[in-house]
Amino acid sequence: MRKPAAPAASGKHTVTDDLGRKVSLPVKPRRILALAPSMTEMLFAVADTATIIARTQNCDYPAAVLTKPVVINYPMDYERLLALKPEVVFATEGIISLETAAQIEKLGIPVYYQAYDSVSDVLRGLRDLGKLLQQEPKANALADSLQNQLNQLVAGAATSSHKPTVLAITWRDPIYVYGRNTLFTDKLRYAGGQNAVKDVFAQAYPALTREYILQINPEVVLGGSFDQLEKTFFSLYPELRRITAYRQKRIFPVDDDLMSRPSPRVVESIQELKRTLR
Amino acid sequence: MRRAVVVVGLLLLLLAVGFFLGLRVGSIDTSFQTIVNAFLNYDAQDTAHYSIVHLRLPRLLLAFLTGASLAFAGYLMQALVNNALADPYLLGTASGASLGASLSFFFFADLTFLGLYLPPFFALAGSFLVTLVVVVLGSRRGQLIPSQMLLVGIALSSLLTALVSLIMFLSDSESQLKSVVFWSMGGFEKADWSNLGYPATALVLALVLFFFLQRHLNVLLLGADRAETLGVDVRAIRWVMLVTVSVVTGFAVAFSGPVGFVGLMVPHITRALLGTTNRFNLLACALAGGVFLVGCDLISRLLYPPVGLPVGIITSFFGVPFFVYLLRRKNYRFS
Repeated sequence: MRKPAAPAASGKHTVTDDLGRKVSLPVKPRRILALAPSMTEMLFAVADTATIIARTQNCDYPAAVLTKPVVINYPMDYERLLALKPEVVFATEGIISLETAAQIEKLGIPVYYQAYDSVSDVLRGLRDLGKLLQQEPKANALADSLQNQLNQLVAGAATSSHKPTVLAITWRDPIYVYGRNTLFTDKLRYAGGQNAVKDVFAQAYPALTREYILQINPEVVLGGSFDQLEKTFFSLYPELRRITAYRQKRIFPVDDDLMSRPSPRVVESIQELKRTLR
Repeated sequence: MRRAVVVVGLLLLLLAVGFFLGLRVGSIDTSFQTIVNAFLNYDAQDTAHYSIVHLRLPRLLLAFLTGASLAFAGYLMQALVNNALADPYLLGTASGASLGASLSFFFFADLTFLGLYLPPFFALAGSFLVTLVVVVLGSRRGQLIPSQMLLVGIALSSLLTALVSLIMFLSDSESQLKSVVFWSMGGFEKADWSNLGYPATALVLALVLFFFLQRHLNVLLLGADRAETLGVDVRAIRWVMLVTVSVVTGFAVAFSGPVGFVGLMVPHITRALLGTTNRFNLLACALAGGVFLVGCDLISRLLYPPVGLPVGIITSFFGVPFFVYLLRRKNYRFS
């Protein structure tokens, strides 16, 4: 993370975000908002919630977020954003494009990005936000507690030798899945499983062919209950009924938001995965 | 005649090569021996055998049928409106199918109808409905007016494309958007033995019918008035062509999405190779369209494994230079 420079006379300092961008922020921001549901969860866990001035149309957790006014993030409602007068906007890599960020910065609003490749990145993100928002004790306590839970998970996972291969489906036509280079792969490691997708594709959520799935032959499929996927997925791709997960009926639903959002609920999602794989 | 035999022979050879390579390319490494065994000593438990017979072969056949259908329909369409720029989508088939498929993706995503997967069903319904509207608006007192039909088709396509864009814009699901975008660029990943019968039947019947009507098509290219004086029932043949184009295109688009370029360009390529009035033109055109799409699908899978690039991108990328080369040759004439 960034090394905060000495505070300027204006009460601002320049920091470097996770994308290596130099961003000038107030030393103690009073009006903040996040442009992604996961980042909103991060802010609610760390910030003084009175300083969070808005949410996007997709932000729905925690419940308190629903009381905040909405700013549409796709397509970005710049006028609404400007009217809200945020002192800093928090964005997540992959959700808000750099072009959009540049446009927001033209309005005089700094955009700070976080990026997460692993579960520990999420915890680091919490600590970083704590520093930026002058909430270090709160952020560090939360990150420490999550780290302890992770350590216990790792100790538990070490006892089982077989790590089932897991394919998590996000869409069925075309078949989109959680790729190798997503947080999901790291979560599985803690949960005692492994991503059935072995190759790293250009897209984080790649489209796969039926043949590819037959080849990797996942032992577990996530994305819906057996009956749901039987109706909506395997009836469309009957060839995939050959995979081990189908034959052993190891097909389970997961909470999509919980699974896909890099947020303080990351450990909760790993625990859900672990229960599922058991 | 001799030139036709050479061209058709060459196309058949290319098709054989395309099928052989197509059966080899995939996520599972496959040797020549494995391909032979998959057909001669099929082992249902062997994933490679299963993939070759149940995934790769249907995919190749669907690519071939789609290419053949679109090229054939394009040839008919160009003769019908006597315009070198006509393609099978001028009747609104593609935009109607796209609207149908989009509606099914956005509003009936988790429904099946009598066990049917809905997008092809909706796409087919959309393409036929829109074609019907174009034909009704493009004719007067039962008399087709090609120029009017062409303009109505273009106008209606614009409207339907706007509607598809509106549905996409109002969608809040990235995955549904991807479904529509993927579908609209064409592809053969959902090929299955069970859905090859429809486009195959439509194409074979159409080919047989027009093998006997080929002479009428050549006369029609001279213009409707001259065709009438030469004893061709222009009104009747136009209706037969119209129904054929809409059925053949509708089935091709329903299962593969609206693949571009093939229906417009391949008929010209065939004419450039065989001349404008060769009686094997239609057959060669269908064959060339099929070979072309089999090749494009293969290239797409090699460039971007495993799922392949949308085939419409490849058709333009590789087809255009060849097409321009043929057009630049001195002896090419449309009619």
